[in-house]
Amino acid sequence: MKRVLFATLLGGSALAALPALAQDAACNGKPVTLRILRTPGNYPYPAPMEAWQKEHPCVSFEINEVPFAQLGDTISVQAASDDPPDILVYDGPNTQSYAKAGILLPLTKYLPEGWDDDILPATKAEHSYEGEVYSPGIEQTTVAMYYNKALTDAAGIEPPQTLDAAWTWPEALEAFKACQQGEPGAPEVWGLGPTRFGNGQPGLVYQDLIYQRSNGDPEADPESSAWKTFWAMAPDGSTVEGYLDTPEAIEALTFYRSLFNEEGVAPKAGIPNAFFDGKACFYIDTPAAGNALLKDPVIDWGITPIPYFKTPVVHTGSTTIGVTARSKHPEIAAQFAVDMEWGEYAYMNVSQRGNLPTLKSLFPRFPAYQDYPMKVFTDQLEQWGQPRPPSPYFSQYDRIVTDAIRSVAFGGDPEEAMADAEREVARAMRR
Amino acid sequence: MTAIDAQGTVAAARARRTPRQKRDARVAYVFLAPFLFLLLLFQYVPLAMMAKNAFMDYSLLNPDAAKFVGLLNFSDMLYFDDARESLAATFLFALGVVAIVIPLGFALALFLDSKLPARGIVRTIIMLPVVTSAVVVATMWNFLLDPSNGLINGVVTAMGLPRQPFLTSPDQALVMIAIMTAWQQVGFAAILFLGGLQGVPKELAEAARIDGATKAQVLWNITIPLLSRTTLFVVVIMTVFSLQAFAPAFLMTDGGPRDSTNLIVYHIYKTAFVMQNAGYASALSVLLLVIVLGISLLQMWLLRARWNY
Repeated sequence: MKRVLFATLLGGSALAALPALAQDAACNGKPVTLRILRTPGNYPYPAPMEAWQKEHPCVSFEINEVPFAQLGDTISVQAASDDPPDILVYDGPNTQSYAKAGILLPLTKYLPEGWDDDILPATKAEHSYEGEVYSPGIEQTTVAMYYNKALTDAAGIEPPQTLDAAWTWPEALEAFKACQQGEPGAPEVWGLGPTRFGNGQPGLVYQDLIYQRSNGDPEADPESSAWKTFWAMAPDGSTVEGYLDTPEAIEALTFYRSLFNEEGVAPKAGIPNAFFDGKACFYIDTPAAGNALLKDPVIDWGITPIPYFKTPVVHTGSTTIGVTARSKHPEIAAQFAVDMEWGEYAYMNVSQRGNLPTLKSLFPRFPAYQDYPMKVFTDQLEQWGQPRPPSPYFSQYDRIVTDAIRSVAFGGDPEEAMADAEREVARAMRR
Repeated sequence: MTAIDAQGTVAAARARRTPRQKRDARVAYVFLAPFLFLLLLFQYVPLAMMAKNAFMDYSLLNPDAAKFVGLLNFSDMLYFDDARESLAATFLFALGVVAIVIPLGFALALFLDSKLPARGIVRTIIMLPVVTSAVVVATMWNFLLDPSNGLINGVVTAMGLPRQPFLTSPDQALVMIAIMTAWQQVGFAAILFLGGLQGVPKELAEAARIDGATKAQVLWNITIPLLSRTTLFVVVIMTVFSLQAFAPAFLMTDGGPRDSTNLIVYHIYKTAFVMQNAGYASALSVLLLVIVLGISLLQMWLLRARWNY
C-alpha cells in the first residue's frame, strides 16, 4: 500500500511539473515574469497572450485585477511603490496625468512602421504628451443614441439613421416628449433613459459634456466664446478660464437642465436595465449595448446619431495598455504592450470584446460595424470623434466638471456651477 | 500632603516591590509589547506622517516630487469654500444623527428594559441594521428613496402628495442620509442605554416610588441623571461615528447634489485619490482629528457625571 501511495505521489509530482519543464526547455534565455494590472474581463486576453508567449517563451505573466471603480485608486498607490506592475491597463484619458507624473514609459520608439497613418487621430491625441506616445491604444468606444423601435413606432417617430440627418437637441426633445408615457418626471416609460455608467446619475463628462461642446464651433475665431465652448479647455491643456462658462455653454446647459426638470423626460437617478426592460424610448450608450442586443435581441431596436446644437461631437476613449516607467523589464514589457495593440494581436483583443479598434486598417474586419445600426458608431468615430479634453489634469477636470454638470441636472444654476468648476480646475492646475 | 511627600511615598512603594511583583511587571510588558509595537506602527507613525504631509504639496502618483509648502494647505482651507462647506455638511449630519439616535435609542432601551411582550423580537429587529453591512443598508435605502419607483415615494404619492427628490435635492439629501444612518445606529445606542439602565440600582427608584414619586418623576429625577455616564458615552460614540461617516456619501449621493452631502471623510478621500492632492487631504485630516478631539473633550466636560452609584 505504501509503495502504491509513493508511486502515486511521485507520478502526480512529475505530471504537475511538466508544463514548467516544457517552458524551461523552450526558453533559452533568462525567464521573465511580467506583472499586469487590469480590470476584470479586460484585455490582454488569453488567446493573444498565449500566441505571443509562443514567440517569447521566456516570458510568463502574473495578472492582478481590480474593479474599474477602484482602478484609479489602485494605480495611484501601486505606481508609486518600489515594485510597480510592468503593464497597466488604465483609462485612456488619464494618459497625460500618468505621463506627467512619470508613471508611464514613452513608447514612441517601439511603435511599428505605419502606426502613425493607421491610428485614429483622436486616439493619438489622447495618448500623447509632450511629443511622446505613451500608449498605442487598442480599442475605441463612443456613444450613440439607441431607441426602442416598438415604442418609437407607436409614437409615430422615425429617428434618423445617418449622420447627415442627425437630430438637433430640440428635435430630439420633441421625440422624447412624444414617446414618453406617463407623467413628466415620473413616467412609466421615460423619453430618455438613464446612463448605465457610475451610479446611474447624469453629468458624466464622457456622456454629457458633449451637450455644451456641441453648442460651440471649432472653426470660429480662437478668441471667440464659440471656439472655447467647443474645446471646453485650452487645447494645450493649460487653462479652462473662459472655456466652461461661455454664453453658449450656459445656453446648452439650460436646455440640458430642462430635460431633467421642466420637461421631465430624463430621470435624475439610475434605473437598472431601463432601456432593455422597455422603460425608456431612447438611451445613450457605447457599442457594448448594441453587441449585447445583437447577441440577444430582447427588444426591437435601432441607433440614431447623437443629437447636437451647432456642431456634432462625440467623445472617444476607452481603457488602454501602458508600461510603467519603473518596470524592471521595460524593453520586453514595451514590446508586449505594442504588440498587443498592433496587427493580428490587436484584432484578437478587440474582437473578443466587441468595441471598435483604434487602427483604421482593422475596421473592415469587423463586419457588424459596416452596416446599420452599428455603422453609426464607426461614422461618428471617424467624423465627429473628439477625445475628452486632453490634459495632465484630466482626472481632476473629469471629477470637477462631472459634479458641475450633475448639479445642473439636479436643478442648479448653470452659470454658477460652471464658474465654480472653472475655479476648481484652476486650483488643481496650480499645483 | 506636599509634592515632596507624595514623590517620596511613590518611590518607597517602588522600593518595596517584591521580586514577584517585578517579575510580573516584566511579563506584563512582554505581553503588551507586540500590541504597543503594532499601535505605534499602524496608528502613531501614520499619524506623524500625515501631520508631516499636511505641510507638503504632493500627489500619490508622484510622491518623489513632494515639496514643502508651509501653511499653504491650511490657508487654502480659508481661501476656498470646500473645507468650510464640507465641515458644515458634516456637523449638520452629525447633529441630525445624534438628535435622532439619543432620544430614540433611550426610548427603545426603556421598552427593552420593561416587562412588555415581544421584547426579544424587538431587540433582534433593532439590532439587525447595526450588524448589516453599510453597503447593503445604503443600497437598500437607495431603492427605498428612488424618485420614480421607490417605496417611500409610492407611499407619498398614495397620500396625494407630490413625489419627493429625496437624494437629488440639495435640501433633502443630507436629511435623508442622516435618517438612514440614525436608523442603522439606533440599535447600538439602545443596547448601550439598556446596559446603563440595568446598572441603575433598583432601590433608588423603589424608595422614590414609596415616597410618592410618579414614574415620570422617577425617570426624570433619578434614571436620566444616573445614566449620564452612559449618555456621555453614547453621545461621544455617535458624534465620532457621524464625523467619520463615509459610506452614505460614497454609495448614495457621491457627495452631491451640489456638495450638500460631501461629508468630510469622503471629501478627504476624493481630495487624495481623485484630485491627487494628498497634501491638502492630509491637512484636512489633521483638522478633522483636532475637531474630533475637541468635540469629544467638550462633550465629556459638558456631560460629566455629577452623581455616583
